[in-house]
Parts: sequence; structure tokens; C-alpha cells
Amino acid sequence: MQTKLTRLLGIRYPVIQGGMAWIADASLASAVSNAGGLGIISAMNAGADFVREEIRKCRAMTDKPFGVNIMLLSPHVEEVAQMVAEEKVPVVTTGAGNPLRFVKLWKEAGTRILPVVASTALAKMVERAGVDAVIAEGGESGGHVGDLTTMALVPQVVDAVHIPVVAAGGIGDGRGVVAAFALGACGVQMGTRFLVAKECTVSDAYKKKVLAAKDISTMVTGRRLGHPVRAIKNSYMNAYAKLEADSNVPDEELEKFGVGSLRKAAKDGNAEEGCFLAGQIAGMVSREQTAAEIVSEVMEQAEAMMEGVKWDV
Amino acid sequence: MTTLEKLKEILCECKGEDIDITPETNFDELEFDSLDKVDIVMQIEEAYDISLGENLQLSTVGELIAKIDEAVANK
Ligand SMILES: Cc1cc2nc3c(=O)[nH]c(=O)nc-3n(C[C@H](O)[C@H](O)[C@H](O)COP(=O)(O)O)c2cc1C
Repeated sequence: MQTKLTRLLGIRYPVIQGGMAWIADASLASAVSNAGGLGIISAMNAGADFVREEIRKCRAMTDKPFGVNIMLLSPHVEEVAQMVAEEKVPVVTTGAGNPLRFVKLWKEAGTRILPVVASTALAKMVERAGVDAVIAEGGESGGHVGDLTTMALVPQVVDAVHIPVVAAGGIGDGRGVVAAFALGACGVQMGTRFLVAKECTVSDAYKKKVLAAKDISTMVTGRRLGHPVRAIKNSYMNAYAKLEADSNVPDEELEKFGVGSLRKAAKDGNAEEGCFLAGQIAGMVSREQTAAEIVSEVMEQAEAMMEGVKWDV
Repeated sequence: MTTLEKLKEILCECKGEDIDITPETNFDELEFDSLDKVDIVMQIEEAYDISLGENLQLSTVGELIAKIDEAVANK
């Protein structure tokens, strides 16, 4: 199915696998790209050499376009930004801030730039800087979250900018894709559903938690420090919430409490001390499948629903 | 309308209540989150048809007013 997004990125289906810190590596990214979507490698807080290695591994496993997600708060952001330009990575998505200062560098490298935005003002600002499209991500999603929901954010961003808009947050099947199109988006980004892809190298304990999750299994913590995250309820999240609500606990202690928790979940599968980032749609994710099965199932359902409907996507 | 008045209008709208601001007010005291700040900058830039640059740091209201006035003068 062709949309503005598939044409922009040269992919078969308008489906992006979102960057996921500690999780989205060359294995998952290449599998999604081979399936006709856009796979993304997460640069998270890693240094340039680590990310370059993943890029090369990904290139060895697919000849299709793929992307790198750059966390703008990373201490290594400058070197990683430079490296993806040198490597001529086809697509960059950015999270946690405003990528204005890198736009020129990436454009000169021929890289397509898709910042994740959580408000219309940020969408307008990055459009003016010359990015190719925006990913409007609602707070249903896993990982760092904004306040606005996908339902409210996407149409407002669509109205605010002239570039293509990708919807993210709470999308897990073909119905979600059709809903995104109805709101004016021309593609979707999914994270939570791809957590349980066979090619996703995250710990087994992580996949089990996502598969077992129901609609009300996630919660948000971290508002007090200004970077709220959504994750599956467990002893870590409950303890964090308690500390956060206790005004006698200084911010530094809270900060310290969170250190290493993502790694503990993703790599070690530590069910008690890990932070298992996942979105509200986890309740609907109930089977481990290959990335190709996920992409084709989602798109077949969407296309069947849209049969006979003529939409300008 | 002076720049201070216009800025006050934008900041109050963003806070959802009337707040007192003077040139000495520091943005830290006002506790805007990062999306608020993007919104404020965008509103200023659109209102004055200027660009405040990519590395804008919000410190005091007075400094921001100076930057706005400078950008307007250089238009
Ligand atoms: C485990 C996990 C880790 C994530 N890490 C990142 C990240 O490092 N950078 C980023 O921009 N987005 C990150 N996200 C957000 C995803 O890229 C995507 O936008 C989001 O998962 C979409 O919502 P969904 O989870 O409802 O599908 C993460 C999401 C999850 C579930």
C-alpha cells in the first residue's frame, strides 16, 4: 500500500518500528525492513562506535531502507549525529527534544529526518527547519510520554503542518492503522507490538510481561523529574511512584533509583528491579510472531477495512 | 503594546492563569516544561515574525525581551 510515507522513505508498507532504547538493534530493525516496513536501530545513550557497528550489521542483513533513532539528550549525541551522516543512514528519527542543530548536516547526507513530536508547536518548529515528516506520538505509548493522547494530538498536528504526519502511540493492529489514516496521518509507528517479534532480542522475561499485560497494566512515573515514562506495573514502578510522591525524598535520590533499570529489564530480565517500558496497547499484544507476520497481519487487516474507501493518504 | 506586555500575555496564556512577571523574573521560577517553552518561543516568533535562533536559552524575562527587540530591529 502506497502513501506519502512509503513514497518518502521508499518502503512497501507505511509502518515504522519505533526506536526502543536497549532493545531495537540490527536484528529487529533488519527484520522489519525486510518485511517492507521501516526498521529502526536505537542509538539511545550509546557511543558512535557501538551504533556504527549495529548499522553495519543491519546493512549486512537487509538491502532495504532502515533508520536510526537518536536520543537528543544522549551525552554522545554530537558524535552519533556526525556518524550517521558519514554512514549515510537513510532515515533518522529523533526523540526527547528539538533536532534543529543537526538538520543541515543530515540533509546534506541525504538522510530523511522524522522527529518525534508531542505538540503542535514543536511540529511547526521542526517543519520550519526543513525536516521531511513528523511522528506525532501520544501518551498511550511506551517509553517517554507526553500528556496529549494520540487521538487528540494527531489531527491537530496534521492541521498545523504541511509535511506528512506519522501517528504513534496505542497502535497495535489494522484498526489502529485505519484510525490513524482517518485522523489524517499517512503512516504509523509501533513500538510495543514489535517488542514481542521473534527477531526482537529483548529478554524472555520482558516478552512474557508484555504478552501477559492487560489494558490497565501500565502506569506512568517520572513526572516530578520532568521526564515521565510509561511502563508495566511491577515492584520497581510501584516503589518509584512511592518515592516520587514523598516530598522528603530529594530529586537526586529519585534520579539514582532509576539508573540501570531499563537495562535490567531489557537485558537481564530482572522482573522486580527492571523498568519494563510498554504502551497501553500491550493488553492487545498476545502472540509472539515474526516481524514479517506482524507487518503483514496489521496491513492486511487495515487494507481489508479500507476496501472501497478512497482516502488521500 | 510593549514587548513586556506582549510577553506577559503569552506567558499567562500558557500558564492558564494571570501571573506577575517583571524583567527580573527568571524562567526557572515559572516552571514551564519543555513543551511549554517550545510553544512560547513559537508564539513569540510568529507574533513578531522573527527567529530567535536554535540555541536559545531562557534565563530572565528581561534578557528575552532584549533578544526579541534586537531581532525585531534587525529584521
Ligand atoms: C520499550 C520501549 C522503548 C522505547 N524507547 C524509545 C527511544 O529510545 N527513543 C524514542 O524516540 N522512542 C522510544 N520509544 C517509543 C517508540 O519508538 C514508539 O514511538 C512507541 O512505542 C509507540 O507507541 P506504542 O508503544 O503504543 O506502539 C520506546 C517505546 C518502547 C515500548
